[in-house]
Amino acid sequence: MSTPLKTKIQVPRSRDLEVNGVKYNRSGASRSNFEMLAWLFMRLSGIVLVVLVFGHLFVNLMVGEGVHAIDFGFVGGKWANPFWQVWDLVMLWLAMLHGTNGVRTIIDDYAERNVTRFWLKVLLFLASGFVILLGTLVIFTFDPCPAGADPELLASFCHTV
Amino acid sequence: MSTAVTENENQDVQQESSSEAIPTYDVTLKVRRYDPEFSEDAHWDEWQLTMYGTDRVLDALHKVKWELDGSLSFRRSCAHGVCGSDAMRINGRNRLACKTLLKDLDLDKPIMVEPIKGLPCEKDLIVDMEPFFQSYREIMPFLVNDDHEPTYERYQSQEDRERFDDTTKCILCAACTSSCPIFWTDGQYFGPAAIVNAHRFIFDSRDQAGDMRLEILNDKEGVWRCRTTFNCTEACPRGIQVTKAIAEVKKAVFASAL
Amino acid sequence: MQVHKYDVVIVGAGGAGMRAAIESGQRARTAVLTKLYPTRSHTGAAQGGMCAALANVEEDNWEWHTFDTVKGGDYLVDQDAAEVMAKEAIDAVLDLEKMGLPFNRTPEGKIDQRRFGGHTRDHGKNPVRRACYAADRTGHMILQTLYQNCIKHNVEFYNEYYVLDLIMVDTPEGRRPAGVVSHDLATGELHVFQAKSVIFASGGAGKVFKTTSNAHTLTGDGMAIAFRAGLPLEDMEFVQFHPTGLAGLGILVSEAARGEGGILRNSDGERFMERYAPTIKDLAPRDIVARSMANEVREGRGCGPHKDYVLLDLTHLEPAHIDAKLPDITEFARTYLGVEPYTEPVPVFPTAHYCMGGIPTDIKGEVFQDSETTIPGLYAAGEVACVSVHGSNRLGTNSLLDINVFGKRAGIYAAEYARDAEFLPIPDNAAERTEALLDNARSGHGSEKVGAIRKDLQDTMDLNMQVFRTAETIEQCLADIAALEERYANISIQDQGKRFNLDLLEAVELGFLLQLAKVMSVAALHREESRGGHFREDFPDRDDEKFMLHSMVYEDPSSPTAGIRQETKPVIFTRYEPMERKY
Repeated sequence: MSTPLKTKIQVPRSRDLEVNGVKYNRSGASRSNFEMLAWLFMRLSGIVLVVLVFGHLFVNLMVGEGVHAIDFGFVGGKWANPFWQVWDLVMLWLAMLHGTNGVRTIIDDYAERNVTRFWLKVLLFLASGFVILLGTLVIFTFDPCPAGADPELLASFCHTV
Repeated sequence: MSTAVTENENQDVQQESSSEAIPTYDVTLKVRRYDPEFSEDAHWDEWQLTMYGTDRVLDALHKVKWELDGSLSFRRSCAHGVCGSDAMRINGRNRLACKTLLKDLDLDKPIMVEPIKGLPCEKDLIVDMEPFFQSYREIMPFLVNDDHEPTYERYQSQEDRERFDDTTKCILCAACTSSCPIFWTDGQYFGPAAIVNAHRFIFDSRDQAGDMRLEILNDKEGVWRCRTTFNCTEACPRGIQVTKAIAEVKKAVFASAL
Repeated sequence: MQVHKYDVVIVGAGGAGMRAAIESGQRARTAVLTKLYPTRSHTGAAQGGMCAALANVEEDNWEWHTFDTVKGGDYLVDQDAAEVMAKEAIDAVLDLEKMGLPFNRTPEGKIDQRRFGGHTRDHGKNPVRRACYAADRTGHMILQTLYQNCIKHNVEFYNEYYVLDLIMVDTPEGRRPAGVVSHDLATGELHVFQAKSVIFASGGAGKVFKTTSNAHTLTGDGMAIAFRAGLPLEDMEFVQFHPTGLAGLGILVSEAARGEGGILRNSDGERFMERYAPTIKDLAPRDIVARSMANEVREGRGCGPHKDYVLLDLTHLEPAHIDAKLPDITEFARTYLGVEPYTEPVPVFPTAHYCMGGIPTDIKGEVFQDSETTIPGLYAAGEVACVSVHGSNRLGTNSLLDINVFGKRAGIYAAEYARDAEFLPIPDNAAERTEALLDNARSGHGSEKVGAIRKDLQDTMDLNMQVFRTAETIEQCLADIAALEERYANISIQDQGKRFNLDLLEAVELGFLLQLAKVMSVAALHREESRGGHFREDFPDRDDEKFMLHSMVYEDPSSPTAGIRQETKPVIFTRYEPMERKY
């Protein structure tokens, strides 16, 4: 139940400098709106993601035969349609960026040492970048009718070609 | 003024009143002790006390200090919630010891008193307040107005005065900042108290440095680190709507940046 | 032991100290030493307002304000000082407004003003709206605003440095201050601050009483240090008892409650102030109201199970009005007494509030070393000082005014003096007395506890030196103090560490309290009349023939009365001849 006592903390924003003998820590470092935009992005992407994710779930699980209809053919069918390609692409990017930014703030909040913070973030960005690239690649290069596959498993339009 | 001379009746009344029975409580007080001069380890000390009527946690601490263990160290001054010296963690919540009445606590369990979190502990309930005041100083907590000084006062409408009334109440006790989980992590976040005091000037119609303060709080460690956990609002002994003030500052940062 | 060098050293960071620091900080290298953090100072507990004849809401002028101050102080006011204060009050308020203080506003956007006890129009005709205010947090706003401006002007603070001694050295021109000795709470080390000018702004000594609106830290350090350094203390018998302290607790309920329309009632529900002050009733000066309340109680018309308090009735006021004008004090009543002021009257009883006396100064803030000569370089301002603008009874709001007007003056004059003065050498043994003081307390092996002695002191002061006094009770008090001093020589403290040793400092503070209690009692014994806050039942009338004089007390072991010698200083009159004081 007892929490560890803190006996030292770094001087807040210790990049402090003294300008004309005035002790504010307002550094001359570049001011950016990154944190503000990140904060805004989280709210906006959150709203969009609610629509995208629930739309996705509704189409996949409720419409027609529902969850039983999902197979390779179903996915292939969807990604043959540019509408679903864009839908899933947007969902992928927003979800990954939203999640990555969320984990970034968690790392900022809970990693106490700068070095730990740095390496955790490197790891996070690499992982996220990998997933985003891979996902994008798959959405755009997905072949719904691979040659030589069992026609049973493919989307119906493959047979007509 | 003429007053009838009646021998010491006043004193009799006072003596009578003190002998009358007032409700008493048996209280177990547990305080987290730490004094690096003698030991690097913190430990808990426990006392059984009999307290009265409207006694507060501060009275219990005083009773220990004055009658049982003089080495118990804590800050206090006004003892009625306006100076902000005695913010501490009582039963896991940040409160002023002088504003926490014993009868409002669950006295079946021991009362647990710890120093506020996130600031370095110096001794017992005393923490180093410097990092806290450092953040306060950085948001330029003073009126800036470079216009020609009027001969009389600057006028301000009642509505404009009302706009920042809530945040003028801050007593800099650090209860909010030290209840903020974001502040606990590394102490780099400006913290609710600094933002509240920035709010007090940003929304003061007489002030002209609002944009500079917004720029300061648009920092990596500024308002965007707020996760709206509302711990600060709950902790504030002055009833300031701290989280709301932070949200208003966020909005103002947007308004000035976009 | 570390030595620091500053042009001006200010002891205390309340209203007066910080107001002085804002002035001297811009003119000279200034350090402010405080035993707390600046924003913890008790200025922040002041509630009602700060009077200035701005005439924003009705006709008013500073001359009426001067008259009210003089009459309120029962003519023991130095009238030149009262004139200065009332005249400079206007600028003091405007200065604060320009520094950013969020005053309440009139519909036109000017600083709003309200009524306050003893402040009248046209020399006592009826109450006037003179007090500028910010809800019932005026003191809080002043303290915050001054601290904010100290930050703006980059004033150097030494927080939690207890000043324990004043270093005075002899020069061909006379005794001059060379600096102060302080104890750094965080490390337990002594620091000597060498200075050209020293300003004391360390506040009052309300903690000699049990029932008090004062903070635990108001132990009269500055007064006692000056007294031990051989300086006189002026008018120490005059202590103001604020009429409306929360019953049993002493927590202040502002006079603004009555200014906004609150009424005092006894157990019969009678508005008893109509009998004592027919013209201005509940808004009579504090000494009169406090005595009237105490009199109601001892004549059996008190309220409650023990008939030991009276009631402050706000129930006829609109809750919205109460919320807008008196939010904090209603919260105090709810929190500490469980009383809802919208619907129930609040139990109140007089509480020790303010020391009218203190270190004697002239209107520049320069400290007197006897009844005639001042000590250049040594200043005092605020409650620790006695200018004397409050005489035998301070009017409500005049303390906030005092700290601003005389704080500013002390700051300016101290910096000006420092500009031309030289540093005086610090004697090698400068810290010796402080070291001995601390060592004595630390190494004591006696059986007495600081807390117990302090409690007994406060009990005897409450019993014998409160609103009503007689030679008998005062002598009883002196006898009790003598016994307590013997016990004090036999104390031991438990905390043997160096860091944050508050146990040790409470012992030192108790020494200050004992000394000041004695000073107050001796001065009260000498003044065989009733005037303002000092009411002698054995001498119930004012005696201008014998006692229209300030009392000056000095430490003097050869004196028969508890080692304290009593002298007098004439009161300065300019325009107002003493009259009977009726409201």
